[in-house]
Amino acid sequence: MHRFFLSFSKVMALLGGLVLTILILLIVTSILGRTLNSLLHTGFAQMILGGTAQSLIDMGLGPVNGDYELVEAGIAFSIFAFLPLTQISGAHANVDIFTNGLSDRKQAILKAVIEILFAGVLVAIAVQLNQGMWDKMDRGQTTFLLQFPVWWAYGFSLIGAASAAIVGVYVAFARVMHVVTGTVTIIDEGADH
Amino acid sequence: MSSFEIGLYSFPALLFLIFARVPIGLAMFATGFVGLSLIQGGPDIALAKMKGEVFTTFSSYSLSIIPMFLLMGHFATLGGMSQALFKAAEGWLGHRKGGVAMASVGACAGFGAICGSSLATAATMSRVALPEMRRYGYSGGFSTATLAAGGTLGILIPPSVVLVIYAILTEQNIAKLFVAAFIPGILAALGYVAVISIYVRVNPDTAGVRPRVPYGQRLMDLFAIWPVLIVFVAVVGGIYGGIFTPTEGAAVGALGTGIIAYFNGGLNKSALFESFEVTSKATAMIFFIVLGAAFYNGFLALSQVPQEIAAYVVEQGFSPWMVLAIILVFYLLLGCFMDSLSMILLTIPIFWPVMQELDFGMVSMAQLHAAKAQQALAAGVDIPADMLTSIKAALADGAELTREQIKSLDIRGVSKGVLNRVNDEQTAIWFGILVLIVVEVGLITPPVGMNLFVINSMDRQTPITETYKAVLYFVASDLLRVLLLVAFPIITLMFIPII
Repeated sequence: MHRFFLSFSKVMALLGGLVLTILILLIVTSILGRTLNSLLHTGFAQMILGGTAQSLIDMGLGPVNGDYELVEAGIAFSIFAFLPLTQISGAHANVDIFTNGLSDRKQAILKAVIEILFAGVLVAIAVQLNQGMWDKMDRGQTTFLLQFPVWWAYGFSLIGAASAAIVGVYVAFARVMHVVTGTVTIIDEGADH
Repeated sequence: MSSFEIGLYSFPALLFLIFARVPIGLAMFATGFVGLSLIQGGPDIALAKMKGEVFTTFSSYSLSIIPMFLLMGHFATLGGMSQALFKAAEGWLGHRKGGVAMASVGACAGFGAICGSSLATAATMSRVALPEMRRYGYSGGFSTATLAAGGTLGILIPPSVVLVIYAILTEQNIAKLFVAAFIPGILAALGYVAVISIYVRVNPDTAGVRPRVPYGQRLMDLFAIWPVLIVFVAVVGGIYGGIFTPTEGAAVGALGTGIIAYFNGGLNKSALFESFEVTSKATAMIFFIVLGAAFYNGFLALSQVPQEIAAYVVEQGFSPWMVLAIILVFYLLLGCFMDSLSMILLTIPIFWPVMQELDFGMVSMAQLHAAKAQQALAAGVDIPADMLTSIKAALADGAELTREQIKSLDIRGVSKGVLNRVNDEQTAIWFGILVLIVVEVGLITPPVGMNLFVINSMDRQTPITETYKAVLYFVASDLLRVLLLVAFPIITLMFIPII
């Protein structure tokens, strides 16, 4: 079971990474378009290329329209999609010097309690995000430039948020099983940044 | 209980949770949620807040810079840039007394210019530099201490993830903060090199001798770091020059280092997937803290606690410098067991309002007038010729302009309000750099500095007490630098225009 959830979390992280890569390419394309566009507007380019410069501009050579909105929508998905792997790897930042002195059993119980709280918060986040998505859908709110419905961005993020909630519940379950049966499935990494 | 009391009691509650090993982001989120529910008399409003606020926190254009910088740092490692930097630095410095350690510091500084995180810099450079130091007879504790300290350059020399967060919290310009961090970062590297040079003279048996590298080879090694230079100039130069926004700069940097890593053969499919996983964990960790902080700080603002504290400090008439000293010492202590990002997200919303109320006299009316006058003259304001010479003379002397001169330049619009705004910005930048340094000092302060543990765990033969002993020299140099930057704000602010 652990292997399944770990692979699932990794797939989500890869999806998030892919979206991040697409956003990076989108931003760089937008910068290139913007730069070329302003170059074509210079007298020098008009002189060398003549009418070609204007027709290139007319063809739409310029910054990507609404790149800002796409980045905002995409990055939210990426971050939600990054959460499951962080959860299952125990990679959240914490302060452990005051609890390291506790016995192994006490530490295991503490971790189980914390992870139950975490799972609760992740589930609440997913549920409320779902609510928020319906609100946006009802209001028919769209983005300023591209005019795509705001709930689409919420919907994509919800995939990540729901995955995080599911993995969060599994991690809490595994931590409780650790206390009850003594089997260790989750290995902490600690924060590395 | 009044909202103010709830806000006040939330501090010990939050600290208890954090010290009980609750992940910092979760602790802040939970405290904020409960606090808000107590103030509102029920959880409905706090729950309703979650409908949109979690999404808006994550879907931030300016924060999307963070995963991009993290990816960029990872690609830089894959592209062999850490090796190239170390080799170049070793060629020029390695044969000196303690030279391999100096080269490690130099390479850390170079890597810091393309990586925004301190532990990543320390860990990456350790992989390259520790074996070399071992080979030339450098003692274990000295080597690990050097790298732990060198790692802090990763966050000080721009780009820097922590500065991005600070800029957003205090609503300051990211580009200006990056520029302000540059000179203090160079000073830090020079300070560490000086420390090494003193250390190997006090303890002559801690470092061996490395043969000289011929100049031809040195030049070739130096030439090999061109990708680092290009990426740094493109990213930081582009952001500062206003060619693109910080987020765009980060995207350019990530793509650039990715392409370089690909052509150096470091970026195949499995390495790319690994980069995604590493970036994913670090990003989600940071964003969960940002989310928790957004919730907690939203609650605190509602409880009026930060405003009351700021008002109290002003009312008591404490000396601004004493308040600053107390804040910096507090960071040094807290830094012993908390990571820098959490500390900044936790404390800046409380400390920044206090700092804003204090007058450090960063800019005087006369300086502001002089700056505006320069601007007006450059723009070609129409002034009588006899006046022009005297204004130029007054500016050159650094003296205050006379009433008539100000009138003729038409800069009467420079009001107290403008001055306050300028002062706020200069104070914010200066304070940000100071905080950045002290939280990093906390990371290398024994007995619980986090960088020390990470580096020490990479070198199992060295007992941590050895690292502790050696790192004290570096901590001393850091503290000296903090004093220097506090006493002379101009070091930090020299490239930050007043207007």
